[in-house]
Amino acid sequence: MTMAFPKTMLGAAWRRTACAAALAVLAICGVREIRAQSPGPPHVDVGLVSDQTAVRPGQTLWVGLQFQLPSGWHIYWINPGDSGEPPKIQWNLPPGFRAGDFLWPYPQRIEAPSIVDYGYANGVVLLAPITAPADLPQHGSVTLGGAVRYLVCREICVPAKANVQLVLPVAAHGGSAASSAASASNASVHALFEQTKQRVPQPAPAAWSARARSAGNEFILSLRIGKPAPQVQFFPLDADVIENSAPQDVRSTAAGIEIHLRKSDQLLKPIARMRGVVVLSGRGAYSVDAPVTQ
Amino acid sequence: MNAKRIGTITAAIVLFAAAAAFAARVGLAAPDFVATDSNGQSHHLADYHGKFVVLEWHNNSCPYTQKHYQSGNMENLQREWTARGVIWFTVISSAPGEQGYVTAAQENDYMRQIHAAPTAALLDPDGRLGRLYDAKTTPHMFVINPEGVLIYDGAIDDRPTTDVSDISGATNYVSQALTEAMAGKPVSVATTRPYGCSVKYSH
Repeated sequence: MTMAFPKTMLGAAWRRTACAAALAVLAICGVREIRAQSPGPPHVDVGLVSDQTAVRPGQTLWVGLQFQLPSGWHIYWINPGDSGEPPKIQWNLPPGFRAGDFLWPYPQRIEAPSIVDYGYANGVVLLAPITAPADLPQHGSVTLGGAVRYLVCREICVPAKANVQLVLPVAAHGGSAASSAASASNASVHALFEQTKQRVPQPAPAAWSARARSAGNEFILSLRIGKPAPQVQFFPLDADVIENSAPQDVRSTAAGIEIHLRKSDQLLKPIARMRGVVVLSGRGAYSVDAPVTQ
Repeated sequence: MNAKRIGTITAAIVLFAAAAAFAARVGLAAPDFVATDSNGQSHHLADYHGKFVVLEWHNNSCPYTQKHYQSGNMENLQREWTARGVIWFTVISSAPGEQGYVTAAQENDYMRQIHAAPTAALLDPDGRLGRLYDAKTTPHMFVINPEGVLIYDGAIDDRPTTDVSDISGATNYVSQALTEAMAGKPVSVATTRPYGCSVKYSH
């Protein structure tokens, strides 16, 4: 193992000292402790937020499951990549309420030796639509809750849980919006929701004519995006289709781009569709669902 | 040194060089290796021709590994299958200073305390064996048949969580592959996405 860079040496030296100290403590505490207890989770703030201040019968409102992580830690996207697990919620809603699937903002690539994962460094808001029953009594308040399980990682991973809840008053159907008097905190949640929505992939324009073809050990995803973007990144929705750690070779064509994606070693059968998110720097993120010709 | 020995040594070097060039791939010969265990003994995969071999990538601090050890699941699998003649190697590829790195003495202590029962624990701190197999997570499981062909590569089971309660209802892919192969049947699920913490190779 070569260690050439001072920054790396400092990190490794710190870790060796920490490990040595930990082992000394374990030796004092007795051999049984060598079973290496998991470290406690880092301090993560998990909560439910909404940019609406009331719920109305029959209405669908958007609720955000917000994660705020300390620096250096990350959680995972819906396709976590080579390792990791996306966060999950078990909703605990009043009778008649229904929750839909999350909208996932586009992730970042998280690289470690020999693997690449997809996730969110420092935090994210996952947006879920919650629909109130039409016969919801128009008084009092409701509690929207959930039990969240997630994996938060740095170079090590810690499984964690959180119970979240949001209490909202019930307003009359069609009544004047209780949110008309925007409080300072509501304005900041509104800004958070706007930022988050910008990172949720839009459907790819039909003009893109997204197509993919299987070519030997790679897939080639063609997109007629018009003028090329300075940076293009593809995030697969399905696991085991592309080699996450392989670099993505993006080439310009007359009308757009071709993204060359190395096939995964675990891909055993042809696939009919290539699904994922294409992020064009400066232009946003788009969901792609392209037919694959063999 | 006589010509025959030179020929054998050359062949061995070529074998290892060739093996290093291939990723481990289900259906192909499993990459050959020589590795040292926590008792200082050397193990050469080719010496185990005629037996099934399981490789289990391991990190005792990873919550996914702990799921299978604190529940006794992995230890039971090790005992059950080694009793049926399977060679089971636990492999630790964590680099020094990284999570899961253990000295030989620490690994032996750990295995004694948790009643682990692999054939041996292979210590791979420079990550050579891990990279040869492209081991991505802990756990990441490989099954090699008596002809030396890799017949399973992937997750230990179909419940990719850290929750012990997910073990009893899960399909264990290692047991399934061994059971099918021992009965002369094709392995129905030969490759899956492995789940666990990333293997802590050196940077």
